[in-house]
Amino acid sequence: MFKTFKAMKSYIQPYKKLYISSALMTLVFALLAIVDPYLVGQIIDHVLTDQDTTFVIMGSLIIMGVTIFRTMLRYGYFVTFEKFSQKVVYDLRKDLYVKLQSLDFSYFDKTPNGQIMSKMTGDIEAIRHFFAWITHVTIFHSVVFIIAIIAMFMINPVLASTLILIVPFITFFSIRLSKSVKPIFAEIREQFSKLNTVVQENISGNKLVKALAREPYEIEKFQKENEAYKEKNMDAAKVWEDNLPALDAFAVLFNVVVLFVGSILILKGKMTIGELVAFNRLLWMINNPLRMLGWMINGTQNFVASFDRVKELLDEKSDLIEHKESIAHTHLKGYVRFEKVSFHYEDLPVLEDVSFEVNPGQTVGLLGSTGSGKSTLISLISRFYEATSGQILIDGEPIESYDIYTLRNNISIAMQDIFLFSDTIEGNIAYGVPDASRIKVRLAAEIAGVNEFIHQFDDNYDTIVGERGVGLSGGQRQRIALARAIIEDPAILILDDTTSAVDMETEYKILTELKKINENRTTFIIAHRISSVKDADIILVMDEGRIIERGTHTSLLEEQGYYYDVFTQQMGEFDVETREGA
Amino acid sequence: MTKKRNTFGEDELLDQEFNATQLKKLLKYLFAYSKEVGLALVVILISAVANLVTPLLLRYVIDDFIPNHNISGLIIASLGFIGIIIISTISMKYRIRFMSRLGQNVIRDIRHDLFAHIQTLPFTFFDSRPHGKILVRVVNYVNALSEVLSNGFINLIVDIFSFAMALIIMLTMSLPLTFTVLAFVPFAFAGITYVKNKQRKSMQEVSAKQSNMNAYIHESISGIKVTQSFTREDVNLKVFEELMDDYQDKWMESRRYIALIFPIVKNISIMSQGTMLVVALVLLKGQITAGVVVASLAYIGNFWMPLINISEFYNQLVSASAYLERIFETIDIKAEITNTKDAYDLPEVKGQITFDHVTFGYEKDHVILNDFCLDVQAGETIAFVGPTGAGKTTVVNLISRFYDVNTGAIRIDGHDIRDVTLHSLRGQLGIMMQDTFIFSGTIIDNIRYGRLDASDEEVIAAAKTVKAHDFIMDMAEDYHTEVNERGTRLSTGQRQLLSFARALLKDPKVLILDEATSSIDTQTEKAIQEGLDLLLTGRTSFVIAHRLSTIKKANRIIVINNKGIEEMGTHDELMENKGHYYELYQAQVKFLQEVG
Repeated sequence: MFKTFKAMKSYIQPYKKLYISSALMTLVFALLAIVDPYLVGQIIDHVLTDQDTTFVIMGSLIIMGVTIFRTMLRYGYFVTFEKFSQKVVYDLRKDLYVKLQSLDFSYFDKTPNGQIMSKMTGDIEAIRHFFAWITHVTIFHSVVFIIAIIAMFMINPVLASTLILIVPFITFFSIRLSKSVKPIFAEIREQFSKLNTVVQENISGNKLVKALAREPYEIEKFQKENEAYKEKNMDAAKVWEDNLPALDAFAVLFNVVVLFVGSILILKGKMTIGELVAFNRLLWMINNPLRMLGWMINGTQNFVASFDRVKELLDEKSDLIEHKESIAHTHLKGYVRFEKVSFHYEDLPVLEDVSFEVNPGQTVGLLGSTGSGKSTLISLISRFYEATSGQILIDGEPIESYDIYTLRNNISIAMQDIFLFSDTIEGNIAYGVPDASRIKVRLAAEIAGVNEFIHQFDDNYDTIVGERGVGLSGGQRQRIALARAIIEDPAILILDDTTSAVDMETEYKILTELKKINENRTTFIIAHRISSVKDADIILVMDEGRIIERGTHTSLLEEQGYYYDVFTQQMGEFDVETREGA
Repeated sequence: MTKKRNTFGEDELLDQEFNATQLKKLLKYLFAYSKEVGLALVVILISAVANLVTPLLLRYVIDDFIPNHNISGLIIASLGFIGIIIISTISMKYRIRFMSRLGQNVIRDIRHDLFAHIQTLPFTFFDSRPHGKILVRVVNYVNALSEVLSNGFINLIVDIFSFAMALIIMLTMSLPLTFTVLAFVPFAFAGITYVKNKQRKSMQEVSAKQSNMNAYIHESISGIKVTQSFTREDVNLKVFEELMDDYQDKWMESRRYIALIFPIVKNISIMSQGTMLVVALVLLKGQITAGVVVASLAYIGNFWMPLINISEFYNQLVSASAYLERIFETIDIKAEITNTKDAYDLPEVKGQITFDHVTFGYEKDHVILNDFCLDVQAGETIAFVGPTGAGKTTVVNLISRFYDVNTGAIRIDGHDIRDVTLHSLRGQLGIMMQDTFIFSGTIIDNIRYGRLDASDEEVIAAAKTVKAHDFIMDMAEDYHTEVNERGTRLSTGQRQLLSFARALLKDPKVLILDEATSSIDTQTEKAIQEGLDLLLTGRTSFVIAHRLSTIKKANRIIVINNKGIEEMGTHDELMENKGHYYELYQAQVKFLQEVG
C-alpha cells in the first residue's frame, strides 16, 4: 500500500494546496461535529432543571449558526476533494494515453483492446473513488475518533482505558479483511478486463458473428465471463460477510464494556452518574469510525489493486530507444539502404539477412508468398519494430539517429490492415495533416481514386464512416487509406497491399497518377499482382524472410524463377482464354 | 442509415428519458429475486428492533440498577446487550450476503439481456456509432448501477420504515410539536426537487461526455498503428485533453449539485429543531412537559436522518438513471431484422435461389439494386463482377438477410427468406467476408469458430486444404499459438487463410466468397484452388473477386452495373459478346503485358 502511495506521489504533489485545504476543511468540520450533540445535551439539561428559555433559544441559535458554517465546510471539502481527485485522475489518464501512444507495435500485438480499455475506465474509476471519497471519510472519522478518545480520558481515564480491550480484536479483523480482500479485488479487476475483452471483440467482430450465425455461442461465451465476474464479486462479499460484522460487533461491544465497568466504578464511588451519561454521549464517536473502518479498508485495497494494474501499463517500456542527439526536423531525401538486416519475433526468424538499396525517386516492388516478411520489412523502416541485427540507413544515417517523429513524418504508409476513424471521409484523408486545405484533400482523393465513388454518399466528403471504416467496401477503404498516405507528401511512400481489393482498371489509373507525383520520392509497393509491381525500378521477391530474387520486370522474367512463375500464372489466366476466346 | 452519425465528438441524443416504464423494468429485475429482497428486509428489521432495545437497557441501568446497587441486574443487562450485539452481527452477515447476491444477480441479468439484445441488432447499429460507446454501455454503465441496486433500494425501504416510526411516535407525544417539524418538510422537498432537476440534466451530460471520452480512447487504441505512422500523437493528445476537460467540467457541475443536498436538508432539519424548541418552551410554555421536549429532541434526529438518507438515495437514483436510460434505450432498440411470428426452420438447403424483382438501397434516396431478377440453380457457381460500390456485396448481404429488401423477394428452395428463422438461414450459409476477424485465443479455436464441435483432426484437415497448415506449424506453439484481434504476427494473407479454413470447416450448403483471397499470393492461391474446387462442387456458391482465375470457372458470370445486371453468361459467352466484361478483360491483359 505504501508503495502505491509512493508511486502516486508525483500525481498528488502538484495539487498539494487543494489537498491540504480540503483536508483542513474536513478537519474543522469533524471538530465541530462535537458542538451539536454537546449543545443539545446542555439544552436538555437546562430544560430539565430550570426551564431557562433564554439559554434554549441562544443554544438553538448557536447550533443553527454552527450548522450553517459546518454545512458550508462540508460543501467546500466535498467539492474540493472531487476537484482534487479529478485533477489527479486527469493527469493519470493523460499519462496513460501518452504512454499508450508511445508504445511500440509489439505491445499492441499481444494486448487485447478490452484489457487496455478496462484500465482506462474501471481501474481509473476505482482510483478516482479513493481520492474523491475514501480520503475525506478517513480524515473525518479519524478526527472524530481522536476527539472522542481525548474527551473520554478527560472524563474518566480508568473507564477510557478499557478501550484497550477491544483494540486487539479490531486490529485482527482489520488486518484479516485487508489481507483477504486485496487479492480478490485484483481478481475482480482481472475478470473485469476479461469481460471487457469478450464484449469488445464481439462488437468488433459483429459481422463475422452474424455471418456464421454464432450469436448463441457468443452469448454463452459472454455469460461465462459475466457469471465469473459476478462470482468474483460474491467472493468479495464473502470476505465482507466474515469480517465486517465482526468489526461492527467489537465496535459496539465497547459500549457494553463502558456500561458494565462504568457501573462498577460508580458503585465503587470512583465515578459519577453524570460522567457515565457524558461518556455514553461520546460513544457514537467511537462506534461510527470503527464501523466505517471496514469500508475504508475496502476502498483503499480496491484502489491499490487498480493502481497496480494502471502502473503496469505506465511502467511498460517501449523497445524503442531514442538517442539523445537525434537528428530532428529535417526533410529526408529518401535514400534507403538495408545492410544485412535480420528480424526475429521472439525466437522465430521473420527476416534474414536482407540487404538492398534504393535511391530517391525509385520505386521498389515487393512480391512474395503470404507471411514471407514483406510487411515486416517495411515496418522496420518506420521503426515500428527494431531490427534484431544489421542496419537500416536513410540518407546515409542509421535510422536510430533520427528523432522518431522526424523519421515517421517523412514516411507514409497505407497499411494492409486498414483502420479508419469514425470521422468524415475528409477528416480521415487529412488525418496526418489536420490543417490540410480542402483543395489538398480533394487532390489526394483524386489521385487515390476516391472521387470515383464519393458521389455514392449523400454527404460526399462529409460522410462519416464508422470505426474501421465499416460501411465501406474493401476497395473504397483502401483508396481512402491511400489518399491519407499521399496527402502527407512524404519522402518515402509505402503501399502495403493497398490496391488488392480495387479492380485492375482502377488500380491502373491509380498507379499512373501516382507515378506522376512520385518523381522525387521513394516508393515501396507490396502486392500480389504482377501488374502492380512490374513497373518498379527494383523488384524484390521474398520467401521465408529472405530476398530470393531481385531485378526489374524484364530481368526477372529472364531469370525464370519465382517471379516468372507468378507472372506466367497470372498471364496464363488470360493467355489460355485469349487463345480460346479469339 | 441516419444521416447524422455518431462520433466521439458528438453527444449522443437521448431518445427516451428515464420514466415510470423504465423504473418498472428495473423493478422487474429486482423482483426476480424477491426471496433475497424479503430475507434482507427481515434481517434488517431484526437488527433494527434489536437496536431499539439498547436505550431501554441503558435507562434501567442508570435509573434502577446503579442507585439500587443491583449487581445481578447489571450483569443481566450487560448479557442482554451482548445478546443484542450477537443478533445484529448475525443479521449483518446475512444482510451482506443477501444484498450482494441480489445486486450482483440483477447486474448480471441486465448485462446479459443487454448483450443478448445487441446480438440481434443489425450492422447499421454497429456501423453508426463508435464501438467504444457500445462497449461502455454493456460493461461500465451496468456496473454503475451496482450501488443503487444492492444497498439503495433496501435502505430506502428501511428508511421509509424508520421515518414512519419516528413520525408515529412524535404524533403520539405531541401534535403541535410534530406539525411544527412537519412544516419544514416541504422546504426540504422543494430544495431536493430543485437539485434533482439540475442534477438530472447535468448527469445526462456527464454520461454523454464520458461516452465520448471512452469512445475516443477506444478508437485511439484500435487505430494506434495509423496514429504512430502518421505521427498524430500530439494532435490526438490535444483532442483527448479537450474531451477530458469537457467531461471533467460536467462532472464537477454534477458533483456540485450533489454536494448541495446535505447542506440543504441538514440546515432545514436544524432549523426545525430550533423552531420546535422555541414553540415548546416559549409559545406553549407550561403546556408541554420537559420529558416530552427531551424525547422530541431525541426523535427529531430519527425523523430527519431517514429523510437525508432518502434524498441522498434519490439523488443516487437520479445519477444512475443517466446510465439506466442509456441501457434501456439500447435494449429498446428494435432489431430491424427479426424472425416473424410464425417463422419456421429452413429445411436442409438444396441450393436453388431466386431473386424476384428485388429493389434495395441502404439509404432511401440511393437505390443500389433496381428490379433485380436472378434464378440460381442448385450447385451453380455465380461470379459477380463490376465496379466498386456497384452492389456486388449488397447481393450477398441480401441473401444472408443482413438487410431486408425494399420490394420483391428472395427465395431459397422456394422459401421466402423472411419466413424462415434467421438462425436456420445463416447457419446453412458459409460467408467469407472482406473483413477477416480474429478473436483472441488460439489458432485452433479461431478456426473451430466455423463449427464448434469440429475435432482437432477436422480443424487441421481444413487448415491443410487452404494451405495454412505449414505456416501454422512454423509458429511457436503451432495450432495452440495465441493470437488476438489484431492477429499477432499474422499477415493479412494468413488471416484470410484462417477465415477460409473457418468457412470450409462449416461445410455450408451455400458458399459466399466476398473478396476472400485478395491478400493471398498467387502461388498459395493456386495451391488452394484445388481445395476450393472441391468446396464449390455440388454447392451453390457466389464469388466476388477481382482475380479472373476464380471467376472464369463460374457457371455464370454476372456483371453488375447501373443498379442491375448488365451482362450475364459464361466466360466464353461474355467474351464473344464483346461487352463490359470483354473490355475489362482486355484491359487487364494489357496492364500485364505492357512494360513500363
